[in-house]
Amino acid sequence: MKLWQKAAAVCAGVLALVVAACSVAMLLYARHTILDMSREQVKAKQRDLATSFSEMANYYLLEADTSPVRESLVDYCFTRFADDTSVLMQEGRTLSSALDIDPSRWLDPGTGDGSWEDRYGQRTYEGRIRGRDVFMAASQVSVRAERYAVYTVADVTDIHRDLRTMALIFLAVSLGGIALGAGAVTLLMRRGAKPLAALSDAARRIAGGAYDVRADVSTKDEIGALAADFNTMAAAVQSRVDELTETAQRQRLFIGGVNHEFKTPLTAILLHTRLLQKVNLTEAERAQSLTHIERQCTWLERLTQKLLRTITLDQEVEKTPVPARVLLDRVRASTQQIMADRNVTLLTDCDGSDLLADADLMQSLLVNLADNAGKSYDPDSPDRTVRLTVRGNVIEVKDAGRGIPPEAIERIFEPFYMVDKSRSKKLGGSGLGLALVKAIADAHGAKLEVESAPGKGTTFRVILPTE
Amino acid sequence: MKNRILIVEDDEAIASAVALNLQVAGYDCAVFDDGRRAADSLQDDHAYDLALLDIMLPGADGFELFGYMEQYNIPVIYMTAKTDSASEIRGLRDGAEDYIVKPFDMLTLMVRIEKVLRRTGRLNTVYRVRDVELNSETKTVTKAGKPVYLQPLEFGVLLTLLKYKNMTVTREQLMTKVWGYDYVGETRVLDVKIFSLRKKLDLTDAIRTLPKLGYRLEER
Repeated sequence: MKLWQKAAAVCAGVLALVVAACSVAMLLYARHTILDMSREQVKAKQRDLATSFSEMANYYLLEADTSPVRESLVDYCFTRFADDTSVLMQEGRTLSSALDIDPSRWLDPGTGDGSWEDRYGQRTYEGRIRGRDVFMAASQVSVRAERYAVYTVADVTDIHRDLRTMALIFLAVSLGGIALGAGAVTLLMRRGAKPLAALSDAARRIAGGAYDVRADVSTKDEIGALAADFNTMAAAVQSRVDELTETAQRQRLFIGGVNHEFKTPLTAILLHTRLLQKVNLTEAERAQSLTHIERQCTWLERLTQKLLRTITLDQEVEKTPVPARVLLDRVRASTQQIMADRNVTLLTDCDGSDLLADADLMQSLLVNLADNAGKSYDPDSPDRTVRLTVRGNVIEVKDAGRGIPPEAIERIFEPFYMVDKSRSKKLGGSGLGLALVKAIADAHGAKLEVESAPGKGTTFRVILPTE
Repeated sequence: MKNRILIVEDDEAIASAVALNLQVAGYDCAVFDDGRRAADSLQDDHAYDLALLDIMLPGADGFELFGYMEQYNIPVIYMTAKTDSASEIRGLRDGAEDYIVKPFDMLTLMVRIEKVLRRTGRLNTVYRVRDVELNSETKTVTKAGKPVYLQPLEFGVLLTLLKYKNMTVTREQLMTKVWGYDYVGETRVLDVKIFSLRKKLDLTDAIRTLPKLGYRLEER
């Protein structure tokens, strides 16, 4: 059973109960009031009748009157006040009556039968007589030492019938109200549940891999808020998944690059080893093969080291204040030989500030940039200078070499990307130098900027965070 | 006639190893380290029986070079470090005869070269060492122009040694190639065949025994 069905059923049930309880209470109250009123009317009428009759009869009758005279006088006095509900009796005999029943069978004020006597000596009876609902009141009056019973017998069948009709009307109205209410509640719940179905549908589709799906719910209630939150969550999931996919993609490319870069030197080593093992080579050929093997091994060793550095950089770096001068001296010392070999001058300049960095990693970054800058010069370039400058939190490495083509600039930090593969291989490039630079800069939270113009030179800028 | 092979490979170490290996085995080789230059050279000289092409090349890549090879009807074997099937499928669907993935074994490459040459009807069928000549087509062997009768197994051993001239062939490789299955157990029968070859063809010093390794037919 769905939630909205449950909620609708509960609401309808409660509504029915309340309406039924109210109806019954009202009905009972109305019935009580109406019946009471009619009883009081009958009782008052009987009291009037009895009083009027006894006063008149006592006035006209004399004690000495003989029986026939007496009887006709009593009759006369009674009929003056009687109507079609009045009965006059004396000791079981009906003296005057508009009815065809003998009320003393059910109520006799003289014997104490029937209900209790009130302060006027009035007794009442209520019940069914010959298929009719009857309410009667009676009392005894004495006229000149003789006792008479005065009855008012009212037919209340119509009142009872009206009450039943009223109950039926009440029932109909209540049932209609309940049906209407339940219908309205069901409709409301159903409409309220619709956005939930949309949410559920969206969730299922997202689970199925369609991360760009959003719940199309724009109601302004809690469900609308839930849908908005849901969409925020879906967006977060999507961006996270995209991120992970991108990372995985990058890693796959990286591993592919590693694989590719390792295969070529390995193939060369393998081929030359087999050559030495299995082929009768001349001394010169043998020496050449060994040189090839040695070179490839050296290169593999360098590649492995850089690779290891790039991979292990994911850990947090430990930043300490490093005097710029100390850092630049270390860079100069470790690039001295290679710069001399390439006939390149390294000029360093700093403003004496401290840099907040991991000294070893920052040195590695700068050595890589300086090495690249040195390699940017063709053998016949006249001006062969690399400038390494520190100003505040900005480190700049500048050369006037061959520059980077504009279309290559955004790829230079990709692992194993080389602008001119054969040229950089000849210069001992691994394709990992700038990837390592980027990894180190990222680990420091530093920004990397490149400005380059082909034939004019390149400037790399590392902007360290200032906090 | 020696088979002529074009090698286009930008890694000098690999190119030199492959070329040296093929040369000692009796092939002629031309080596280029740049795709563009290799393509340009074809205008003057395209008398190659086979081309070994790297795929990642400066100048023009291997797939581009394939177009030129097709033009001059030169069968192609790719030597690639790319293991992804996409490039393999592309290479073969374009019509390359075969591909070999780095790092590869030279003997495997030579077997493939031989297969391609045979399939395209370019395989040299005459092998020579000193004054001995073997024709694999007519199954005849001559020494100084005079026919020499060899038993079928002796012929097979000599052919294998000639195909991989100057290279060490292990006893297992010889057994597999000549006897046609992975021969386990007694290999004395091979020693007998070598002994009789040396005697019949006067190749005692040319067929060298390399202890624990195998045999090598030398001629430098």
